[in-house]
Amino acid sequence: MKQKLKFFISMRFALILLLILVAACIAGSVIPQKQEMMWYTAAYPEAVAGAIMLFGLDDVFHAGWFVALAAILCINLLGCNLIRFPSLIKRTSEGCRAEKLQKALPAWMSQRVAETTEADSLFGTLGFRKIQETTLQDGRLCRYSVKNRCGIWGAWICHLGMLVVILGFGLGQAYKSEYTVYGVPGQTKPVGDTSYTLTIDSFETLLRQDDTVEQYTSSLTMTDTATGETAGGSVKVNAPLSLFGMRLYQNATGWAADMEVKKDGEVIQNTTLCTGEYAAVEDMPELVLTLAAFYPDYAAAEDGTPMSLSGALNNPAYLYRLYYEDQVLGMRVLQEEEVITVDAYEIRFKDPQMYTLIQIKRDPFTPVAAVGGVLVIAGLLLAFYLRTAEMTAVRNPDGRWDIYGHSRKGGEEFLETIRGAVSEISSHEGGKEQRT
Amino acid sequence: MSSEQFLNIENILFTIAMVLYLVSMVLYILFFALRKEKPGRGAGYLTAAGFVVHTAALIVRGIGAGRLPLTNQYEFATSFAWGICLCFLIFLWKYRFRALGTFVLPVIFFIIGYAAMQSREVRELMPALRSNWLAIHVSSAIISYGAFGVSFAVSFIYLLRSRMENHEFWNQHVPGQEKLDLISYRAVSLGFLFLTLVIVTGAIWAERAWGSYWSWDPKETWSLVTWIIYAIYLHLRISRSWKGKSAALFAVIGFICVIFTYIGVNTFIPGIHSYA
Repeated sequence: MKQKLKFFISMRFALILLLILVAACIAGSVIPQKQEMMWYTAAYPEAVAGAIMLFGLDDVFHAGWFVALAAILCINLLGCNLIRFPSLIKRTSEGCRAEKLQKALPAWMSQRVAETTEADSLFGTLGFRKIQETTLQDGRLCRYSVKNRCGIWGAWICHLGMLVVILGFGLGQAYKSEYTVYGVPGQTKPVGDTSYTLTIDSFETLLRQDDTVEQYTSSLTMTDTATGETAGGSVKVNAPLSLFGMRLYQNATGWAADMEVKKDGEVIQNTTLCTGEYAAVEDMPELVLTLAAFYPDYAAAEDGTPMSLSGALNNPAYLYRLYYEDQVLGMRVLQEEEVITVDAYEIRFKDPQMYTLIQIKRDPFTPVAAVGGVLVIAGLLLAFYLRTAEMTAVRNPDGRWDIYGHSRKGGEEFLETIRGAVSEISSHEGGKEQRT
Repeated sequence: MSSEQFLNIENILFTIAMVLYLVSMVLYILFFALRKEKPGRGAGYLTAAGFVVHTAALIVRGIGAGRLPLTNQYEFATSFAWGICLCFLIFLWKYRFRALGTFVLPVIFFIIGYAAMQSREVRELMPALRSNWLAIHVSSAIISYGAFGVSFAVSFIYLLRSRMENHEFWNQHVPGQEKLDLISYRAVSLGFLFLTLVIVTGAIWAERAWGSYWSWDPKETWSLVTWIIYAIYLHLRISRSWKGKSAALFAVIGFICVIFTYIGVNTFIPGIHSYA
């Protein structure tokens, strides 16, 4: 049992999990996601389509097995960190390592790296600050120092950061609330099933000289209908707004138009429709209309396909679809002043304008994931660039110091640095002697 | 000077840089194939000259475009090649490992060649791209991908090194496997740190622009795949039994993922990043 548990939190198991995660991510990016079964049977051989549906490869990142994989990875990370924590604490709070040298010399002190008369300046040059002194068993004086000791925490902090990121993301997915509200200025819409409403006070599109869009800005007012409290502000692309603990994003835009319904020449209904929206004739609810598309500068291609020559409102036209008791009654492009006539009803579109689409989100776990991200970066910085190194200088009877060094991550490079510093100090001292 | 004039100068500088890289690549190959010192030494100077001209080209484009040149496929490709060259020159200076150029320059030339095939038109940025996070996100990607390019070349040499143990030229100009492993590790460390920054800053930017810091967009997913591959590499290096060849293999696979994330995803899998 203990053996199994050990494997469960081992690095080998972590690598297996990571490889499965890689395979899952590749599958999730290559196989089109969230399609209907029919789509897969049309796109792939039947056996492949069946396998896609069977293993949940049609929605990899929300499949139960993928969530389970992430959960097992979290357990592995947690176990790995818990096991290493006591030894890291011990290594960090270790007292005078020099005292230990009195009893036994470590393996890395079997081979001298360099020899110098200036041990103190060597310690200083290489950035070793706290120098401990002791006497070895053979009576020689020994100086010892360690630097960048906190570097040993790098991998641990990085793993902790990963754990926090996955947990923050997972909890966010489970508990976040997300709503979409769209409309034209003057409209007030409910925010999902909450007690809040959102009023679109204005919507502006800032254009450059070449008619490309520089920025979209919506002025909004949010009201808590339960308390009557209101708050407002402007939201732009890349500049979200925070209201009532929710974040509001300027997410998209599109065209909307007023659907005017007349009966016997008298206006009986005026409804604003955004493209893609449906509206029923209030007087005759089985008659439903959708504004399928809008062309601000309408023209028909050679094959008759409707298109827009520009984004300017030069020749507006509306592609509509009309339904009667869920059956399509008709579909065509309607230009300004043209009307659809159904019995006594006359329907037309007018006053096209841009609508704004606001995404509203409340995810209390986003800051958790952000903290995780910062921890990962901090951990990597510590692990890669604060390489723990130890150096010992042992004084010989002739007054010269034997230098020994060790750095698990610095390796041979650290020893080269010692040699370089020793020769630099020697040449400097030589120069001084020559001058005197 | 008008924007158009700046872009014309950039065009000339870009072409000069590309030619210098091409000549350097040929000289590095000659250095290796003919086993002569002279072409190798010349190649190093020419690469440095190419890098200076390339830097000037990027600065001039930035002035001409009125923004950092990091927002479309051409701009990122040329910056990507610049990043590899920068990392190569740093590693060349630090480790005095000239033979590295024989394997890095073809990568630089491939990327800058890809850049040359892209449209160089300067377009105004769509609102979502007008963010300071974009500059940090893409700049980090350039350093990260550059370092991975160097690690790819070093790991490739590592995989060939064992077959060349009795080869005098190799023994003279190519470090031993242990040193190669260390150089590759240093390059991957740098690349991995910056790739993490790429993912984190990209997430912050996406949260501000689209309201979601992670949406499993193909580019995001492939960045994660690349990150995991290099994470596996870093773990393999710790284990004695997997150290060396297996780790080097993962560094090579990692760079293939980098190339796919950059070129493959934009070409084959549409997503939010397709506008780039």
